[in-house]
Amino acid sequence: MDDKKQVTVGAKEGLGAGIVGIALLLGFLPAASQSIADLDFINSEAYAILAGAVMVMAIFTGIAGLVVMLSNLSDDEE
Amino acid sequence: MAAASVEAPRKRSSRIPLTYVVALVPVAVALNIVGGQINGILKLPTFLDMIGTAVVAIVLGPWWGALVGASTNIIASFISGPIGLPFAACNVVGALVWGYAIRMGFGKTFWSFGLVNVVVAFFVSLTAVPIYVFIFGGATGHFSDIMTAAFVGMGQNLFVSVFSSNILVSLADKIISGFVALAIIEALPANLTSHLTLPKSEGMGKVMWITGGVVVGLAIALVMMMMQAQG
Repeated sequence: MDDKKQVTVGAKEGLGAGIVGIALLLGFLPAASQSIADLDFINSEAYAILAGAVMVMAIFTGIAGLVVMLSNLSDDEE
Repeated sequence: MAAASVEAPRKRSSRIPLTYVVALVPVAVALNIVGGQINGILKLPTFLDMIGTAVVAIVLGPWWGALVGASTNIIASFISGPIGLPFAACNVVGALVWGYAIRMGFGKTFWSFGLVNVVVAFFVSLTAVPIYVFIFGGATGHFSDIMTAAFVGMGQNLFVSVFSSNILVSLADKIISGFVALAIIEALPANLTSHLTLPKSEGMGKVMWITGGVVVGLAIALVMMMMQAQG
């Protein structure tokens, strides 16, 4: 009998997925910043938009790092 | 002599099958995008682009919700333009607050779940205001810009005006999104939600509570529309 073990994900994989999401955002930020700066009603420069967005991403990345250090990433079993 | 066999108690794990994640995350992203598009077409005083985020953050976890939130705004930027991309931060914040609040034990009753949605709205607004002010100068073409202009006309500074208008929109939006997400979660397989402690009610009770939550959100939205009409 083929006894396949079901692949499961837990807190560690979830945290990794979130960090991947932040990385995806970071990848799109430079092009998006230029596109937003090119809009007629935007007075900000592309660099300023990019700088602010990167600072926000830095906060999220820092939170993710703190979660890695402080959380018990083993999954609860009852 | 038959030996008495004692079964070891079955362990319940919070680990979720990968197939559920692979199925649920893209569907949640699609739900967010469709909700946002419908909201834009109907010019509603809400956003409706975080229902999927709430579902995934509550069921799978806050950081899976963050992935959904980031992916939603990235994909939506290809459809609707780049304006939405900076607001991915709001989607991520919403996912983290929803996910961690439920995992910390809040939201066990319908009242506390409603309160969780209010807290999400507050934190999402806090995140959105600097984006509105520093990148877009206070306006992006959304419904709330009219209220922002009204508050500025009353003599409030731009930060206060943007926050005042955005918190009302965000409250309506997150209350509606949270309770719609609860209805969706109720329809998911039981083994996917067995590790969660969510509001429980028998029979029509849960339907009534969810409907009530959505009605409260709609009432807030109606109040905003009336304020705009009178202003």
